[in-house]
Amino acid sequence: MPFVKNILNYRNLSIVGLEKNTGKTVCLNYILRRLNEMGIHVGVTSIGVDGEQVDSVFSTAKPEVTLYEGTHFITSEQHYQKRQAVSILEHVDSRRTALGPLVTARVLVRGKVLLSGAATTGILHTQIKQLDSMGVELSIVDGALSRLSLASPTVTEAMILATGAAVSANIKQLVSRTKFLHSLILLDEVPTLLREKLTTIESGLWSVDNEQQPHDLGIASVFLIDRAEKDILRFGKTLFASGAVSDRLLRILATKDNGITLIVRDFTKLFITPEAYVEFTRRDGRLMVLQRSRLIAVTLNPTSPQGFLLDSKTTCDALGEALQTPVYDVMKIEQ
Amino acid sequence: MKIKDLIKQDAGFQYIVDSMEFMSSAGRRTMLNTEFCPDAATLTREWNRLDHAIEVVKKFKYKKPYIELRHCLMQLHDLQGTLASLSNHTPLNEVELFEIKNLAHLSRIASGTISDLKLSEILPLPDTLEVFSLLDPDHTGIANFYIYDSYDDRLTPLRRELKTLQEHDGDPGRISQLLAEQSDIQNRICTQLSDRLHPWTETLVTTMEQMAYADFLLAKAELSIQWELTRPEIGEHTEYKALVNPRLKERNEARKLRYQPVDVTLHPGITLITGANMAGKTVLLKSVGTAQIMAQCGMYVPASMAVIRLVQDVITSIGDEQDEMNGLSSYAAEILKISDILAACRQKELLVLIDEPARTTNPIEGKALVQSIIKILNALNSTTLITTHYSGLGGGEFCRLRVKGFVENMADVPLTPQNINHFIDYSLTEDNGDDVPHEALRIASILGCDSEMIDLARQNIRL
Repeated sequence: MPFVKNILNYRNLSIVGLEKNTGKTVCLNYILRRLNEMGIHVGVTSIGVDGEQVDSVFSTAKPEVTLYEGTHFITSEQHYQKRQAVSILEHVDSRRTALGPLVTARVLVRGKVLLSGAATTGILHTQIKQLDSMGVELSIVDGALSRLSLASPTVTEAMILATGAAVSANIKQLVSRTKFLHSLILLDEVPTLLREKLTTIESGLWSVDNEQQPHDLGIASVFLIDRAEKDILRFGKTLFASGAVSDRLLRILATKDNGITLIVRDFTKLFITPEAYVEFTRRDGRLMVLQRSRLIAVTLNPTSPQGFLLDSKTTCDALGEALQTPVYDVMKIEQ
Repeated sequence: MKIKDLIKQDAGFQYIVDSMEFMSSAGRRTMLNTEFCPDAATLTREWNRLDHAIEVVKKFKYKKPYIELRHCLMQLHDLQGTLASLSNHTPLNEVELFEIKNLAHLSRIASGTISDLKLSEILPLPDTLEVFSLLDPDHTGIANFYIYDSYDDRLTPLRRELKTLQEHDGDPGRISQLLAEQSDIQNRICTQLSDRLHPWTETLVTTMEQMAYADFLLAKAELSIQWELTRPEIGEHTEYKALVNPRLKERNEARKLRYQPVDVTLHPGITLITGANMAGKTVLLKSVGTAQIMAQCGMYVPASMAVIRLVQDVITSIGDEQDEMNGLSSYAAEILKISDILAACRQKELLVLIDEPARTTNPIEGKALVQSIIKILNALNSTTLITTHYSGLGGGEFCRLRVKGFVENMADVPLTPQNINHFIDYSLTEDNGDDVPHEALRIASILGCDSEMIDLARQNIRL
């Protein structure tokens, strides 16, 4: 079966969707079934509130996640009460979420479970560690609506990207939006030596000179770049933004000079539109990351929540050609 | 008054409380709910426990039973809500039952380590074996929990059928039916277990409170060791040797500045403190207040020796009363506060700390007010510490202390505004005169203030 073998190279992975209803849950169910057949001890959780039986945005029926004997899972107390699996509680967290504390349990008799999880990547990180300590070989984090942060390589080692008709009913647009995010995921990494120098920097906008030495530009946040008194390119044309990057920074850099390289921590720090990125690259601008995410697969859900269906093969082929990577229809692989 | 209210009034005490390291939120809650205690017997008992705890921490800090106990306390959850449900017969759900089982489990481990540490006498934990057994019908001995098959004979066949159906994608209708049946049985068992646990409510509350108290006591012990705090004696007067203000000490050390502990003795009635600006009068006032609160909240104090006269309350007027939102000037706010203090002192015995009273009004009426405040408070039983710049306050039988203050040749480095504190002797000396130090101009000049202003002021004095 496709791509499940690749998963086994990692200790944890996230499944993130370009939009809601792009088939994350179908994809997760597929992976869980395959891993169960292979006898892998899996742990599952989510970020934020997800796994509602009825999708809260479109009120469409949403498949729950089927968990198998021996699987560890983390969810909120309220969702735990609604589970169909028979399971034994092993831990209750002292922090509370809107749906009660997060609980960790092990499945005794397989069945469906509603997943919810940590509200922040920091807590998610400790949850993954906790699953590790319970002997889990592979932890899988189910993404939530428009949350990419969990796919940060600092949180999960690898990721699966789910896309589908929910993104756009127009194949061309679907391909272009998916391709844009895909290109950010695959941004080049900086050399190890430079990464080591930059990775501990916690805030502000920095410059990297020709000797690869970072210099603080004294700009606490890239949002304050307008107020910078000195030339931000005085040390050279390579910059490092320690936090989030928006269109505004890219547009300002595009007006400063040609050939600027902007380094960010990882692709989840980029909150940019294709238009601003194009403007930046037209001036020979280049984006790089300290750490690249390991993309295991791209999956497609050809059904949109409004009910229409894209042609699976045409769309997969178009995407596959644009991304130069195999794309799997989740509905088909489930069968 | 409780610690949670006292920290709002005393920033120095807040700093101390924030420096304590708690393993659990329940431990922190216990600390916040601790009352300011005027009773000698209660405080002595608490200090005896603290003595004992300090001894144990020193001896076992990096040893297994102590680490295990801290680990246990770290896993302690605040189950106030769950225990309230149990107390008023609201059935607990599976997660709540797990929490109860976990508490029983933790308390049994904690009890073992407490006995290894020979702390059982001061930290007795109730026996929770029966609670644990009730929630562990299969005798697994671990804190995991679900509605075990052994709670109801119908569960085993039901779950066996459910398993077969789930594994072979069986009839969804039948699966739903089985899940509904299971849910009914589970709910009934949850209710039954809650009923059977109800008589144990008090035991469980005590268990949680005692473990939370253990957390608080160990936090106090750790802090006492780390900051070398001293057990105070209870006496007829208050006396400190080498009294320290921990917040300021830490701040000075971070800036590589010198910090000088101070000796001070206070008797009921008035103690008046004079001294130049920057001589640390206000800091002394705050340090005395914080130390008194620490002692009467059952903690040790930051001094090398301490005698404490117990009071009903600590009440201060330290210049930050101005409340423009209430439309009061700094003078109005201050004098109202002092008026309240006088009223309170007529009712009960307090420690009163007043920083430069009436300094924001004209010196003639201001001085007259200070004289009357001193006269009234000196006749009452409370211990009052007042700082002032007013001289010629007249006679009366009260103690006068002066901060030695500025000593030009105290350090070997050139004097600058940054290192001025190296040239100040913060110690107190008995003062018999009725005059106050006149060093305001000298300090302004060291600070590099406008020389014309200073010269003119000097001429004005000579006139």
